[in-house]
Amino acid sequence: MKSSCRGSSLEPLLFTLPCIVMLGVFVYLPLIQNFYFSLYSFSAFSPNKLFIGLENYRLLVDDPVVRTALINNVRYAVISVLIQVCFGLVLAAILEDKSFKRVGPFFRTVFFMPVLMSISVVCLLFGFIYHPIDGLLNQFLEIVGLPFLQRPWLGSARTAIWATIAVSQWHSTGYIMMLFLVSIQKIPEELYEACELDGAHKITRFRVVTLPHVKEIFFVASVITVTGSFMVFSEPYILTRGGGPGTSSITMAVYLYQSGFFRDMMGYASTLAIVIFVISVVLAVFQAMVFRTGKE
Amino acid sequence: MAKRSATVLLLLVTALVSVTAGGLSEAKSNDVVTLQFFHRWPMEPRFSYFNEVVAEFERLNPDIRIEMDMVENESYKEKIRVLISSNDMPDVFTSWSDSFALNLARSGRVRSLNAILERNPEFAQSFIQSQLEPFTFDGITYGLPLTIDGKVLVYNLSMWQEAGIAQEPRTFDELITVLDRLKSAGHETPILEGLANPWAISHFLGTLFQRYIPADVLARDYNEATGEFTHPGYRTAIEYFMQLVGYMGPSATSLTHTEVRNLFIAGRLPMMYMQFAEFGFVHADPSSPAYGFFNFPGICGGHGDFSLLTGAPEGLMMSETSRYPEEAERFVKFLLSQENAAKFVEQVGAPVAVVGAVREENSYPTLMQATEMIKSSSGSVPWLDNAMNIRVADAFMRGVQSVASGDMTIDQVLNSVQAAARMVRAEASQK
Repeated sequence: MKSSCRGSSLEPLLFTLPCIVMLGVFVYLPLIQNFYFSLYSFSAFSPNKLFIGLENYRLLVDDPVVRTALINNVRYAVISVLIQVCFGLVLAAILEDKSFKRVGPFFRTVFFMPVLMSISVVCLLFGFIYHPIDGLLNQFLEIVGLPFLQRPWLGSARTAIWATIAVSQWHSTGYIMMLFLVSIQKIPEELYEACELDGAHKITRFRVVTLPHVKEIFFVASVITVTGSFMVFSEPYILTRGGGPGTSSITMAVYLYQSGFFRDMMGYASTLAIVIFVISVVLAVFQAMVFRTGKE
Repeated sequence: MAKRSATVLLLLVTALVSVTAGGLSEAKSNDVVTLQFFHRWPMEPRFSYFNEVVAEFERLNPDIRIEMDMVENESYKEKIRVLISSNDMPDVFTSWSDSFALNLARSGRVRSLNAILERNPEFAQSFIQSQLEPFTFDGITYGLPLTIDGKVLVYNLSMWQEAGIAQEPRTFDELITVLDRLKSAGHETPILEGLANPWAISHFLGTLFQRYIPADVLARDYNEATGEFTHPGYRTAIEYFMQLVGYMGPSATSLTHTEVRNLFIAGRLPMMYMQFAEFGFVHADPSSPAYGFFNFPGICGGHGDFSLLTGAPEGLMMSETSRYPEEAERFVKFLLSQENAAKFVEQVGAPVAVVGAVREENSYPTLMQATEMIKSSSGSVPWLDNAMNIRVADAFMRGVQSVASGDMTIDQVLNSVQAAARMVRAEASQK
């Protein structure tokens, strides 16, 4: 009896051990190692490392490119929450509405299709759309009589970051919409019927029935979107060739990559990685506290 | 109990069979050696050329298999840095010369080629000797040149004739006059560069710095240990570049160099700054316009030698940690043989550093002229991003890109360049 008790207490540990080992080796160990590297100055070419303490962190505080990158990441996060999460929820609610029952599946597929495409392909595609001379967008503006709105979308510091963010919204809104669709489909139909009997309008039904029931998934979608916004890499890397013109559309992840593998400052790149990690964790915890979720 | 024993026995037998089979397959794979070859030319016509040459090498050397990987230009610069610091370093790979090659050599993982060159004097003499220098540091040669290059201003002949331009400009002021004439002839964008590529900006800057700033100042500033970049000539040189940008129109910062070259090939652009290595693309398109070219003009009041040509060789390097150094050497010698170099000229249409490989029968008139220009120029100016520390070069490239898009001033750029140089100097003093 005694041995059986001991066996049962070990069992959960044994079952979780592979996961703990994998997480330890591939997540936590590199994280600790990364912090260790951030205290050094070293080149990817050289095995020698020079201990500089917190000098990389001091450098980071004074670095104007970090400020630009952080502002761009915040822009990414705010717009992504507004469009991907809020608009994604509205889109899902509309597609699940009774009046859209017939065309709903078609539009679900249409909106979800971009998610299935590789982000590199999407960026190349939008590179053609934004092309300053032969691009579809500028030609369209010409045709509809708005030539004064034509501009080099990716070549101007005023528009490059917004044009890049727009691509991400086009690519990812369908994914968040799909998460909301699944959540909305789980809401009992009777609640909507009861609301309808009480004479509630569609917007009221959305407010009093849909919103409270998708609170959990709203939290999950917000966390995914906000943390994703602080790690966005491919879009600025491909569309604006690493955050150009200058550093106007650079993000933290692109700056990290360039610092490490283009400017050969591996220690500084590790410091940037630590900052991205801390920001992501703080935001995730903050969101968890604000939403008071995580029970489901 | 019997069942458990049988399971254990079965597992042991399986493990034994696996180990034996592994040993056998290892022995079998020992017969054919696999070399990793990494280069930066995934585009045609070089892509096909390397495929053909590698296939030919494998046919002639059945004991060697080549695993070839390639990525383009800027991605290559980043990926080779990652690979060289990893345990997955390619056996043979391409490299730019000067500081790029020096950085790779500093890793201690690039093979010294002195022994090979000493053992094979005929092979050593098969290269244009001046092109070995940019791969040689402290008397050790780390790379062998494959291509030679130069950057020149190319122009659409018929557009020039229509604009009544009869003479190539010899000074920067004459160049501006030419651009003005093209503009008044109806060409809204008389010259264009793909400023979305920071390296394309660096090519202009490298040339303008050389033309305007005294050579001793450049030598001091390009040195990591002494670079300050406080000479007023940098400001003037960037102002000259901005004068050219003024003719490029608002689209320049969103176009890539390749897109601009395609506009030139399509006959939609009067002038651009082009490498000899790109002449092959123009030549390959039968509908491309007839063109002429000239070296970047001198600047009145400039201190540099106006006859120097911007451009540097690219070559092949070998890994110090390669498990198959002898096979890698055979492969490199094959790629750099006169026969294959001549084939490269014929198929790719770009000049090479192998003596006697560019001939009238495998070349075309402008390539012959280009080769002559390289031979007759009094020297070469390395690409800016290879001439100085990459952090300083990056501050120049990104900064001037921002000036071109109207988001920074030249003074702000120079401040960030000087800050980067201070950092590089401090690190150099600690080495």
